[in-house]
Amino acid sequence: MKRGPRLGVMWLAALVWGAALGCGYTPRDEAGKLTVGIVFDIGGKDDKSFNAAAWEGAKRAKQELPIVLRHAEPGEPNNLEPCMRAFAERGYDLIIGIGFAQGPVLATVAKEYPHLHFAIVDAVVDLPNVASLVFKEHEGSFLVGMLAARASKTGKIGFVGGMDIPLIRKFATGYEEGARYVNPDIVVLKNFVGITDAAWNNPGKGKELAKAQYEAGADVVFQAAGNSGIGVFDAAEEHHKLAIGVDANQNWVKPGFVLTSMVKRVDVAVYTIIKEVLEGRFRGGRHAYGLENDGIAYALDDYNRPLVSESMLREVEAAREKIIRGELQVTDYMANLK
Amino acid sequence: MLSAGLLTLSLLSSTLRLSTPLILAALGGLYAERSGVINMALEGIMLAGAFTAATVTAFTGSPWWGLLGGLAAGLCIAALHAFCCINCRADQVVTGTAINILMLGIPPLISGALFESTGSTPSLAKTQTLPTLPIVIALVVAPVTMFVLFRTTFGLRLRAVGETPEAAATAGVSVTWIRWQGVLISGLLAGLGGVYLSIGQNSLYTRNMTAGRGYIALAALIFGNWLPWRVLLACLLFGLMDAVQIRLQGTSSVPTQFIQIIPYIFTMVVLAGFIGKSTPPKALGAPYITERR
Repeated sequence: MKRGPRLGVMWLAALVWGAALGCGYTPRDEAGKLTVGIVFDIGGKDDKSFNAAAWEGAKRAKQELPIVLRHAEPGEPNNLEPCMRAFAERGYDLIIGIGFAQGPVLATVAKEYPHLHFAIVDAVVDLPNVASLVFKEHEGSFLVGMLAARASKTGKIGFVGGMDIPLIRKFATGYEEGARYVNPDIVVLKNFVGITDAAWNNPGKGKELAKAQYEAGADVVFQAAGNSGIGVFDAAEEHHKLAIGVDANQNWVKPGFVLTSMVKRVDVAVYTIIKEVLEGRFRGGRHAYGLENDGIAYALDDYNRPLVSESMLREVEAAREKIIRGELQVTDYMANLK
Repeated sequence: MLSAGLLTLSLLSSTLRLSTPLILAALGGLYAERSGVINMALEGIMLAGAFTAATVTAFTGSPWWGLLGGLAAGLCIAALHAFCCINCRADQVVTGTAINILMLGIPPLISGALFESTGSTPSLAKTQTLPTLPIVIALVVAPVTMFVLFRTTFGLRLRAVGETPEAAATAGVSVTWIRWQGVLISGLLAGLGGVYLSIGQNSLYTRNMTAGRGYIALAALIFGNWLPWRVLLACLLFGLMDAVQIRLQGTSSVPTQFIQIIPYIFTMVVLAGFIGKSTPPKALGAPYITERR
């Protein structure tokens, strides 16, 4: 069998080549500056949503602060650890993991490199050198749920989630609670694109789910589905109904068809943690972002102002104040799991 | 009653939309495999078609140029597959797999240069998409394929080089050229399937957006026993399962996970049990070597 070993070598070469490409290996060129490595989620930095928001924050930091910024897009779960390790081995001062999926990997790597700083978005890693940047998505989802219920004429609204995981259930539960807060009889249809990470990258499926919901009578659909959510906007335009964006302000994606966006300021969290490391103020543990520090908000701009009436706005603002003061409790799906 | 009627109508149109990329890719694969060349590269060809269509449309503003670009990209990738498998006699499965892996990498590379993004293109306006044309073509392609395959000289030659290339060669048919044609047609059709994904059903390309549809098309090809009308039925059935799955979700107390495995369980059951013996073209997967007559 002459072919066996040769094929093996070829595969190995292909693997090494792939890993080198996937991890964006570039030499350190600017000595003395703070080095920041950011590892994106499976969706990649151009999802116009969660990862895009993180990238915005990192880019802003690069513009305003003296740092060297490198990023890696693993593309698939097996590449997460090599990408993160590549940064750690080269002694990056701050390594940021984007997304809950990187929790276990980041915990392993951070334990082996206790002298480096790490940050993770959407997960909690209990190590002194890790800052866990978590968001109170349920509160923001509650507010957009209120807006959805008020904007709905049919008394039916929808939710399209990406991957069926507790974090996305957290969005769904808050959304439903908010809708019921203003209309106890409202019907909420809930669908998920998938149960694997491919669910973040399947706009065709996202669109089919949204179309099915619109055809079943829903007239506002909230999407929390990464790239698949783009399909929800397309469906809203086709059916002349409304959609709600997520994570980044997505009101601009289909003006007139996006009621609002549940904004999760991942950009602020990423920018802040970079700044804190630079100024020597890094602290491990939980960094919570919610309505009170504008880490979570609903988006209002020129694109959606015609869709949101004054009375809707007053009602939502009142609820926002109440949640901040603790007078109104929104169920945190993930807290209930533990 | 009215709502039941609406539901069936929406289920039907959803089935058509979900089946279209499968039908185009599977019937494309049929041309290649009937000529004796396994087309594992369907997934990669679809990705190439989808990415090129979205990119060209983003630059020109016209989906018609996008369509042309997507078809051309499908042809190019198919030509690569044909050259490796037919002229160089490479292993067809390995070549196809390599092309699929290659097409995971090339779109992000190009989109990085063009749009500073990793594998996604800008969103297109609704007027810059072709939502119905590919569906119509998909439905027409099946009867056309039946006619071509069983009623034309080309079809006879295609089947001949896929069954007994030696006999066909003895009768003066160029095995190489007929196989090239088979693979190129599969490139055109699978490319169109990709075009539908990016600028028909959706309005942009996202990384790896085929999500395994090329492989499902291959399964449909085997399930359909390499016969055009059965392949069409198989694809429609897969589309229907997906559409039903979408509508079952959230309406019952059954967890999402269970409902979402319906299409996969279905595939396994039909592949394992109900289709009986599938008979591939005899020379499928075997490169033709003139001297070994």
